[in-house]
Amino acid sequence: MAGDQKPPNTGGSGDVPSGAGQGWTALSYLIGGMLVWGFIGWLVDRWLDTGGVATGIGVVLGMAGGIILVVRRLGTPT
Amino acid sequence: MFGQANVLAQGQAEFPPSVGDFYLPSILPWGAENSYWFTKITAMVWVAVGILIIFFLVSYRKPQLVPTKRQWFAESIYGFVRNNIAVDMIGHAGVRFAPYFTTLFCFILLTNFFAILPFFQISPNSHIAFPAFLAVISYVMFNYVGIRHHGFVKYFKNSLVPPAPWYILPLLIPIELFSTFIVRPFSLAVRLFANMFAGHMLLLVFTLGGFAMLSANVWLAPVSVLSWVMTIALTFLEFLVICLQAYVFTVLTASYVQGALADEH
Repeated sequence: MAGDQKPPNTGGSGDVPSGAGQGWTALSYLIGGMLVWGFIGWLVDRWLDTGGVATGIGVVLGMAGGIILVVRRLGTPT
Repeated sequence: MFGQANVLAQGQAEFPPSVGDFYLPSILPWGAENSYWFTKITAMVWVAVGILIIFFLVSYRKPQLVPTKRQWFAESIYGFVRNNIAVDMIGHAGVRFAPYFTTLFCFILLTNFFAILPFFQISPNSHIAFPAFLAVISYVMFNYVGIRHHGFVKYFKNSLVPPAPWYILPLLIPIELFSTFIVRPFSLAVRLFANMFAGHMLLLVFTLGGFAMLSANVWLAPVSVLSWVMTIALTFLEFLVICLQAYVFTVLTASYVQGALADEH
């Protein structure tokens, strides 16, 4: 993940977007995760008439997914 | 503002300012009441384009080793965007995007600045159309750059498939799709639009509120003055927002380009 394909002294921080970009990326993963899976859950709710259970599960799943994405994409390279 | 000044002079400023205040009438002397083909907003966009083209042409026409004041100014804007945005975010590969980023930065900065410039006093960016189109340009650009750099399949694989075990990929890919290809252009456009819209609205509320209170009751005059003092203070705040939003838009575009160019995650 670290910039092994770039000259080491680019001044940038490798492949990880720096500063503001990183913050917005993390925020959009967290919110996006909840929205996407919440929406899918809501569709399932409409379909199976489960009255909101699927939406709740979807939001929690989406949040988990968002956190995984933030850790994987932006966390310290291993 | 000419229209607003007339309205104020006739004492008929409707106090709670509405979205209608953003739709300025056509400034062509002929033409119907409802023609929106050439309004003050349109004129301001062309003025901004003209100013930028002429300014950079003139300042770079006879470049000197010891720069003149104008050349120094143009060079420091370009240098700022090149070093602090393009190279900082993207690395050496970012230099070739610096001209576009500089254009973007200057255009947004100038059109935003119209929000507090006397006699202009509204920013074209307070209409969603202009930020939306700028966002579309950035969106097309970072996708094009990424596709050309990696090839179509590899680019989408890079940006959609995060490094994770296969069994959570179905959970993650929709989130990646949503946040990379749907949220990005929207958030770029809406962030700039909402900031400029809200800024103009705030200034309108405090300016017109002063007049409204004054005409409602003369004893409220001190509060009106307070309201106008607030307008001045908010104008300075607005200046901060103007610079910040131009910077943020450019930095985020740079960050998206960086993401598109990035190798294996």
